[in-house]
Amino acid sequence: MLLHNVFTKTIRDLRWPTFWVALGMGSMTGYFALLFPTYSRLVDLNAILAKMGPAAALLGASLGDASTLVGFLHIELFSMILPAVMAGFAAAAASGFTAGEESRGTIDLLLSFPISRRRLILEKSLAVLIWCVVTAVVVLVFALAGATLSASPLPADRLASSLVMLVLLGLDFGAVALAISAATGNRAAAIGVAVALMVAMYLVNTLAAVVDGLGMLQPLSLFHYYMGNDPLRNGISLPDAGALGAVALVFLAVSLIAFDRRDLAA
Amino acid sequence: MTAAIETHKLTKWYGRSRGVVDVDLVVETGQIFGFLGPNGAGKSTTVRLLLDLLRPTSGSARVLGLDIHADRLAIDRRVSYVPGELSLYDDLTGLQLLTYLGNLHGAVDSTCRDALIQRLELDPTKRIKSLSRGNKQKVGLVAAFMIRPELLILDEPTAGLDPFIQLEFERLCEEARGDGRTVFISSHQLPEVEHLCDRVGIIREGRLLAVESIASLKDRALRRLEIDFGSPVPTEAFANLPGVRDLTVENAILRCTVMGSLDALVKTAARYEVRNLRTIETSLEEIFLAYYGAGDGTGAGTAGGEPGHAAA
Repeated sequence: MLLHNVFTKTIRDLRWPTFWVALGMGSMTGYFALLFPTYSRLVDLNAILAKMGPAAALLGASLGDASTLVGFLHIELFSMILPAVMAGFAAAAASGFTAGEESRGTIDLLLSFPISRRRLILEKSLAVLIWCVVTAVVVLVFALAGATLSASPLPADRLASSLVMLVLLGLDFGAVALAISAATGNRAAAIGVAVALMVAMYLVNTLAAVVDGLGMLQPLSLFHYYMGNDPLRNGISLPDAGALGAVALVFLAVSLIAFDRRDLAA
Repeated sequence: MTAAIETHKLTKWYGRSRGVVDVDLVVETGQIFGFLGPNGAGKSTTVRLLLDLLRPTSGSARVLGLDIHADRLAIDRRVSYVPGELSLYDDLTGLQLLTYLGNLHGAVDSTCRDALIQRLELDPTKRIKSLSRGNKQKVGLVAAFMIRPELLILDEPTAGLDPFIQLEFERLCEEARGDGRTVFISSHQLPEVEHLCDRVGIIREGRLLAVESIASLKDRALRRLEIDFGSPVPTEAFANLPGVRDLTVENAILRCTVMGSLDALVKTAARYEVRNLRTIETSLEEIFLAYYGAGDGTGAGTAGGEPGHAAA
């Protein structure tokens, strides 16, 4: 029944949301990989992107070459949709760790059992980390299956690198949402700020290619580290991955400290 | 012997609004202690401070001799708590929730748990979402008693329970006391707990006014009385009886408030033809007002030391 501890209970609580998110992300990626040969015969995406000019950057196309499956997935999925879904999932889940228990009023009973506030956050964070990894593995399997069926080249190690970065990016926004909800108890604010931040960072990073002056701000965007090295083509960049991981750990630490200090809602 | 609960000038302000102020409370081990006060008096604030869910503005408290913050997990293993606004995980069944909480605690005897489920007549297979308030309360009570805690902290525990289950709950409390354990019950209704408690603490407007034995509180209980006589009675016959106040006699109907024993009044009334006698137990609020004044609460913290308030 998965009711052994807070970690397994969180795994249990998130099983259905994760199922749908993983199925959605996986089937979308698999579908794109499966249909890529047909699609690329019918449409010259590079020509369309060229016609769009600088506006194509908004779609994250600045790095892409849409004539290969790798480039196609990069533009169509890894630049915007997958990070948005992964980060949204992590933020929605993490914002509920403490604020959800508070708003439902279950925190009083839970913490009257021998669980420290820090342990509560750590066990729940571990559960979300695991579900994010599972989601990434599902995407990997679907994408490779689609590519195999359509006989399109898709290097598994590179795809895995991209997915590692995707998970790290998701965890970052999850940790931001966690820190806000742990510090304030306000779940809506936590999700709102995390999503607003994600949109702003996405725009800063993609528009930096075409708008003068935004280049300075680019290092502030987590998407810069997520996409900068184009892991789908070049593999993982350890400094970039380290940067994303460090951000997640910093916000996790903030949430541990903030939650430990304050009064909890009745 | 170490007190089950001991607070020292425990104070909580929520910004500028008052939680509790300078609460010095000692609850001895092996008692059933009632923590009484009107709604908003600071009962739940005190309880949540003891549980470390709130952090005091100033002052300190120890539970079972342990520091409420530094020794939190040690306390959690030995103390159980039923919150006033009890919320449970709606998607679990009662048994799943109890299993989860039992696992978190780490040392719950499932035989003991199942016996409690039977005694409180809880259907553990139903989802919590579908349970009535009283049935949810049963789940909370099973969770509290199943860990066989040395101290139970129960915030308004009987809300929604039907009378039969309430009796069973009282037996559980008495058994716990019999084992030398301590029960701390907050309530805003004296009649609900007076036959159960050994001592009560009375809190109003965030300040602990007095801690007394139930016996001494009853001695000074206020009752409003109405006596219908067969014929008009002389006011003077009743005017100077001990404990009688607010006396009015209109024709054959006498109305008054009596503090403590009714003996003198009843014996005097018996000299006349009594057709009917109605007594109305006063609410806790009225007792507060009668004994501690309707003041702004400042300075009332010393009320327990005033003459005529000797604690038993």
